[in-house]
Amino acid sequence: MRNLYFFLTKQKDHLIFILALGLSLSLLSNHDSPDLNLLRGKSIDILGHIISPVTWINSMLKLEEETQLLREKNIQITLEMESLIRAGEENQRLRELLNFKNESNLVLLPARVLNSGVSSNLTALTLDVGTTSGIKINQPVITPDGVVGKTILVGENTAVVQMLSDVNFRLSVRIMPSGTVGILRWKNNNICQIWELQKNAPINVDDQVVTSGFSHIYPRNLPVGRVIGVLEERGSFQKIAQVRIKPELSSLMNLFVVIEENNELD
Amino acid sequence: MNWIKFILAALAVFIVQYLLVGVLSIRLIRPDFIAIFVLYAGLKHGRPVGITSGFMLGLLVDLAGVGSYFGLTSLICTITGYLAGTLKHYHDKMLPYIFHLSWILIFCLHFLIFTYVRYQTLFESDLGIFWMKWLLTASYSFVFLGIINYFFPLRDSARA
Repeated sequence: MRNLYFFLTKQKDHLIFILALGLSLSLLSNHDSPDLNLLRGKSIDILGHIISPVTWINSMLKLEEETQLLREKNIQITLEMESLIRAGEENQRLRELLNFKNESNLVLLPARVLNSGVSSNLTALTLDVGTTSGIKINQPVITPDGVVGKTILVGENTAVVQMLSDVNFRLSVRIMPSGTVGILRWKNNNICQIWELQKNAPINVDDQVVTSGFSHIYPRNLPVGRVIGVLEERGSFQKIAQVRIKPELSSLMNLFVVIEENNELD
Repeated sequence: MNWIKFILAALAVFIVQYLLVGVLSIRLIRPDFIAIFVLYAGLKHGRPVGITSGFMLGLLVDLAGVGSYFGLTSLICTITGYLAGTLKHYHDKMLPYIFHLSWILIFCLHFLIFTYVRYQTLFESDLGIFWMKWLLTASYSFVFLGIINYFFPLRDSARA
C-alpha cells in the first residue's frame, strides 16, 4: 500500500496527464451525448448573458457604418425594385398560364451574433435567440446573401450555429441552370468545393449554386454562392466545382434562422 | 504558488480571448492567447499546473461554442501544458538555444494538431494550402507570443 502511494506520488504528473488526456478523448468521442449537449447549452446561455453588454457596445460602434451601408443598399434596391415589379407581374402571368402554385414560404427569425467562439479558427457563432424564440436544433441559418450554417446547440436564449467553415459541415446543393447536384464542403476562406459532380455535367464559371432541397434541414433554392472554377481529374468519373460563397463569414452581425417552411401543396 | 492569483489570471486571459478574438480575426484566423498562457503556466509552474490549466481552459474554450470536435481544444492544451511543464523539468540542463527551440516546437505542435484536425480536408486535397494555413495560424499567435515574451521572458518564467 505504501509502495503504491509512493508510486502514485512519484508519477503524479504522468497520471494527471493520462487522466486529462482520457477525459478530453472521452469528450471528443461523446460530443453528441444529450447530457453533454445540455451542459453546452447551459454554458452558452451563461456566457451569452455575460457577453451581452459588450455585444451591445460593439453593435453601437458599428451602427454608423452599417447605416451608411444600408443607405447605399436602399438606393440599389429601389432601382432593382422597378425591374423586379415588372418581372414579378410577368412571372405571375406565366404561372397562371402554367397553373403553378407557390411552393414555399420561409418563416424567418432575425438574430444577432453574440460571439464567434474562442478557438483560433472560426467554425461557430452564438446567436441571441434560443428555445424561447422557437429555435430548434438543425434549423438553417442564412443571410440575404446565402446560407451560413445550421443550429447545432440550443439554449434558452442562445443558440450555437455550425458554420459553413466547419470541417464537418456538408450541404447538398444544385448548380443552376444545369441542375447538377453535389455535396458542398468548405475549403479555405470564402471558397468551397462541390464534390460528387458527374463528369459530363455542363458546369460553367458564374453558374449559381443553390440548396438542392434533398436534405431535411435546408429548403430548396436557398442561395449559396457562384461557381468560380471547375477541376477535372484524369481518370476520375467525377469533377469538382470551386464555389465562392457571398456572405463574409468573419464579419457577420445579423442573421436569420429559418424556423418554418410553409408548404402550400393544395 | 498563489492559486487565487493564478486562477484570476487564467480567467482574465479567457475573457481577453473571448472579447478580442473577433476584433483581431484576419481571414478566419485568430490569435490563441489561451495557448500562450498554457505555455507560460507549464514553464513557470511545472507539469501538474500546465496540464490542469490547459485542460480547464481548453474546456472553457470548447464550452464557449465550437462547431464540431468538442474536447479538441482541451486535448491540445493538455498536451501543450504537459510538454511545457516537461521543459521546465529539464530547463537547467539545457543550452539556451535548445530551450528556445523546444518551446517553439511545442507551440508549433499545438497548432499542427489543431490545424490537422480542423483542416483535414485541406490535408487530403491541397497540402500546400494546408501547410500555409498551419503557418499562418501559428505565426499569428507567435507574433503575440513574441510581444509578451519581450515583456515577460519565457526563460525567466522557467527559472522561477
